[in-house]
Amino acid sequence: MKESFVLGRRAIREALRTPDALIPTIFIPLFFLVVNVGQTARIFPSGDTPFLAGQNYAAFQLPASLLLSASFGSAALYLVEEIEGGYFDKLRATPIARMAIIAGRLYAELVKAVAIAAVMVLIALPFGIRIDSGILGFVVLVVLVALWAVVFSGFMQLIAIKTRSAAATQGASLVFFPLLFLTPNFVPRNLLTRPMEIAATLNPVSYIMEAVRSLILDGFDWPVLGLGFLVVTVAGGP
Amino acid sequence: MSLAVEAVGVRKHYTGKDGDVEAVRGVDLAIPPGQVFGFLGPNGAGKSTMVRMLTTLMTLTAGTARVAGVDVETDPHGVRRKIGVALQEAGLDPRQTGRELLVLQARLFGLSRSDATVRAHELLELVELTDAADRRIKGYSGGMKRRLDLASALVNQPEVLFLDEPTTGLDPASRVTVWDEVRRINERGTTVFLTTQYLEEADQLCDRMAIIDGGLIVCDGSPADLKAALQARTGSATEPTLDEVFMDATGRTRARSAGDVQEV
Repeated sequence: MKESFVLGRRAIREALRTPDALIPTIFIPLFFLVVNVGQTARIFPSGDTPFLAGQNYAAFQLPASLLLSASFGSAALYLVEEIEGGYFDKLRATPIARMAIIAGRLYAELVKAVAIAAVMVLIALPFGIRIDSGILGFVVLVVLVALWAVVFSGFMQLIAIKTRSAAATQGASLVFFPLLFLTPNFVPRNLLTRPMEIAATLNPVSYIMEAVRSLILDGFDWPVLGLGFLVVTVAGGP
Repeated sequence: MSLAVEAVGVRKHYTGKDGDVEAVRGVDLAIPPGQVFGFLGPNGAGKSTMVRMLTTLMTLTAGTARVAGVDVETDPHGVRRKIGVALQEAGLDPRQTGRELLVLQARLFGLSRSDATVRAHELLELVELTDAADRRIKGYSGGMKRRLDLASALVNQPEVLFLDEPTTGLDPASRVTVWDEVRRINERGTTVFLTTQYLEEADQLCDRMAIIDGGLIVCDGSPADLKAALQARTGSATEPTLDEVFMDATGRTRARSAGDVQEV
């Protein structure tokens, strides 16, 4: 346990020392938020669109951006570099559990994802987005997004360890396309076309997105939230 | 007192892209504590594979190995606590400073934060990296990286230190510095198991050496004994160099196993 935290702090130092790697994680999702909202907001005026619950369309889009920023998993590339460079073997030759090396990186991901999600929500607030569930809801939201980041990063690190290849790891990160876009990311699930609705219903990320969204639009909607947390727990299990 | 390294009938087979490879084909070793032992061989002879098995980074296909009296297969953590490992190409984390790397390494061996800080400081002095301690490793020269790697292999005051080609790629001055470190470490009681491609390195440092070729040990003894044996056999008037011993040993096996040529 202690080793995981020691290794985790090192991974956080690594992230702080390569801020250029963090920039796309924040910039790309915000870019999508601005463009998507800018192009479609007139279709969904806040007054006449029931699913917006009185807020603007940016509030509806924010969860998709948060989940996108949580699905970069770039830290797995550091792991590949470490395996190729030989430092991984150095860590393996110490009397710690192999899992501690991964657990350390996941702990760092959690810290990083909490910070990034909080920053993104704070950037979004001046644009008329309210978190209907209040401060506590903000905390729950950030935690939920960060847990998803840990799950996704865990998947990526698994690929990194199994393949030991940067190309394969980068390739695997493409699963975020179906996971993030076969979701109710533009409109609620009941307004999707039938095939998309089926895909979104089968996609576990939909439930996380709906949980995050409910915190912003509807306050604490326990069944939706519970489903969101259930998904990250089940996905994080293995 | 138990042997520092004891291997009996160690084998390693892989299934690689080009079919089965027998990297190590039955190696026995018995290295008493306190020695500097040199493990030599041409590229692909099985040196690194042997080191990786002895340092618990790779499983054995057959045979048994004990390091510092502990079985590598049944108690790998027990072995890890008693050994230091510096592998080929000094795998280090470029984004940490030298000091951070050593403190981290020490903490992974169970030292408290304050003990780890003290230990890192001592080791930085030992390998003369105090001035560069707080710079990121990315900017270190090849020689500095090797010395840091060496220091990181010493955080737990190992009984046996494994060095896989510790001076490959270093300039002559850095090489001599690393040799001095190795001697100093050995004088303090640590057994050193080193692989090298440089015969001069073995001549300078090793009390005993073994030459491996095609996954088998083809000769072993002290550098002086090996030279003397070759001189006696060839009847040459001058003492042969260790290079000649090496050529003789590895060349001879190729001739002998001509029907059994193996690409490794």
